[in-house]
Amino acid sequence: MSNIIQANNLILAYNKNEPVIQNANFAVKAKDFIFLTGKSGSGKSTFLKSLYGELEVSGGELNVCGFDLHTITNKKLNLLRKHIGVIFQDYKLINEWTVERNVMLPLMIAGYSKEICKMQAHKLLKHVKLSHKTEKFPLELSGGEQQRVAMARALAHNPVLIIADEPTGNLDDYSSEVIWNLLKSVRQHIGSTIVVATHRIPQTMGIDYKQYFLDEGNIYAVS
Amino acid sequence: MQSLKNHLSFITPLFILLFSIQFSTMLDRAVKDYESKLAGEYTIITVSKLPLSQKELQKKIPQIKEIKEIQKEKYINRLKKDISKSDLVFLRANLPKFYTIKLKSLPNSKKLQDISHKLKSVKGIQKVETFKKTFNKFHQFLRLSKSASFVFTLFISIISILLIIKQMEIWTLQHSQRMYIMGLFGAPYWMKSASLYKSVVIDAIIASILVGIAFLIIPKSANFASIYQDLGIDLRNFNFFSDTLTSLAIALLISIISVTVIILKQRQR
Repeated sequence: MSNIIQANNLILAYNKNEPVIQNANFAVKAKDFIFLTGKSGSGKSTFLKSLYGELEVSGGELNVCGFDLHTITNKKLNLLRKHIGVIFQDYKLINEWTVERNVMLPLMIAGYSKEICKMQAHKLLKHVKLSHKTEKFPLELSGGEQQRVAMARALAHNPVLIIADEPTGNLDDYSSEVIWNLLKSVRQHIGSTIVVATHRIPQTMGIDYKQYFLDEGNIYAVS
Repeated sequence: MQSLKNHLSFITPLFILLFSIQFSTMLDRAVKDYESKLAGEYTIITVSKLPLSQKELQKKIPQIKEIKEIQKEKYINRLKKDISKSDLVFLRANLPKFYTIKLKSLPNSKKLQDISHKLKSVKGIQKVETFKKTFNKFHQFLRLSKSASFVFTLFISIISILLIIKQMEIWTLQHSQRMYIMGLFGAPYWMKSASLYKSVVIDAIIASILVGIAFLIIPKSANFASIYQDLGIDLRNFNFFSDTLTSLAIALLISIISVTVIILKQRQR
């Protein structure tokens, strides 16, 4: 089976002289559930940013969903992003839009009709137990609820790859558990590949996962 | 409330810009209208020993519209009582011919001087009276009004465009987070900026209609109407539909260019 993510001698840097990731090798197969761990500043978020093309590759090779991110054009980057669902620690919801419209966003971008977008958004909001808050605005919701909206949005277009950057970083234990359960259910029912950067892996995941550790610019598999 | 404030901040400079352009256009039309009226009334008097042919003169001076000979019999008859018959015969035989010359358009003083020189070089013409002094004063006043209106419009336009660009920058900053999030999910450029374009198009339509309404109302107000009437200027030189459409085209062009420039600048950062 071909890899969803393949990094060979990958170099990532904000500043040319100080690479954050140096000569890293990393591969993720379809349907894998991956945890990226490491201390603050180890480059977890930097690595995730490179996966959805927010950070340019400084050297080496990085292939995500069949797209070469070293040579990718803007048009192809938009195409790649239609295959990815991203979840952020700070949710990144559009505050002027209702919950429903936020969830509809990836579907609208994919070109679905308004009716289909609405239907899918309602289905997902029901799944994340927020069907009663469709007309609310993000700032009217709690942090845990906002993260569930962000999850529903990330899943809306049935992405091949879900990238989550510290999805529970701002949440209490109860909300964190809800988010982990949702991610598990996505893995079990949709079969997306999931890459999560986190400080702490929940004790009872109940599913198979792989763990990688980032340290001093390199990525190590944890056995 | 914030949204209304944002729209007003864009509509106001756009309205001022369109208003000044429309005002300048109206003034230009009024001056042209007045010039053509003056050209109809303006006459050059020529004294010639030989009869003049309109065709021949038009070949030399294409600006000439028509030449008419002044009938001198009427004036000679007035002298019948005061001078002898033989003197009257002598006068009839030796008095030169008088002509009025009308021009197709009102020339500036340089062109008028040129026409005068050309007329003087025609065989038989002894004297040319252009009434240059009176003519010049009025013509210069008209030209001054036109230039002043042009400078005024230019000045207002520059200030308005700067205000529009500033407002665009504020809008883009307000929209940047939304555009960034949409970009993360693969939204193309047009989709990310669609709401900005939609806003400016709506505002451009509102500003153009407001200018159209203003120019329907203002010239009809008592003060303006009497000034126009005193000057003999035609008030019907504003056409709501065609002028509003022209304003709309200008407003759309300026707004769309401003949005595009600001978004591209933002993208480069």
